[in-house]
Amino acid sequence: MMHSKLVLASLLLALVGCSPSEQASSQTEQAGSSPFKLSGDVKHIMQWVLDPAVDGVWDSAGSIITAAGTRELAPTTDEGWLAVEHSAAVVAASGNLLLMPGRAVDDEGWRNISQGLVEAGLLAQAAAKNQDSDALFDAGGQIYRVCKACHSVYVQDDESLD
Amino acid sequence: MSFKKIATVAGLALGSLVSAQSNAHHAFGAEFDANAPLTLRGDVTTIEWVNPHAWFHIEVTKADGTKEAWRIEGGTPNTLLRRGINKRSIAIGTEIVVEGYWAKDRTNSANGRNITLANGKKMFMGSSGTGAPEDGADK
Repeated sequence: MMHSKLVLASLLLALVGCSPSEQASSQTEQAGSSPFKLSGDVKHIMQWVLDPAVDGVWDSAGSIITAAGTRELAPTTDEGWLAVEHSAAVVAASGNLLLMPGRAVDDEGWRNISQGLVEAGLLAQAAAKNQDSDALFDAGGQIYRVCKACHSVYVQDDESLD
Repeated sequence: MSFKKIATVAGLALGSLVSAQSNAHHAFGAEFDANAPLTLRGDVTTIEWVNPHAWFHIEVTKADGTKEAWRIEGGTPNTLLRRGINKRSIAIGTEIVVEGYWAKDRTNSANGRNITLANGKKMFMGSSGTGAPEDGADK
């Protein structure tokens, strides 16, 4: 639960900005061409919002197989599933954060990948809501495919993902 | 130490294996050394069938009879499934030979490319396009 609170707090920080002065500045900017005030660059979104959230999804699906048997990683309580649902929601929201003006590197390619992240996050969110461990595992794989596709195009000399 | 290392292993305590669960999502070059290929022979002790990468843990028995635990990173579960490997393909206790690349920090960790079973069957266990050397294993 603490994990999901941290993730959501990070997201809110990223979305809102914090201080009244920043909010005033943001309102000023709204009078301009964009209603958005960026609260971090793409790297920040990755490190502070997406990475912790996607770990919450990946760590909650799959199997550990030993001679003693198989341990499934899926949550076993409603509270656990809700925490995963929260993480998945942040993953989906991260895709939209990447689409904000000032973050997109180009138009179509960036948009498609960002929207793919939203879709994959929503799949994971639905799987968690339905407490469907197989669907959650598959959604986790789809999230990774989106990550890899993005890094293969936009990250040069990438050492953050394979 | 020779880069071409053949080891024969033995085991790890379950607790330490499970605690070693990794969800590392990183490029090959960030963690593994393309100039340090190795070959390991050992018995499978744990399979972590997880995203974003599956991990295979083996026990190697060294020449002096002591045992070492190694953890081998595989491709994504989805990639492995397409290659015909599922989480039940290799039973716990099965002896395998793994070809791969050693971790840069020289811990007992490697990026796996091929698994060879006792009957000679070879399976590609990595991922294409990861930055790992183009050794033809995924062709």
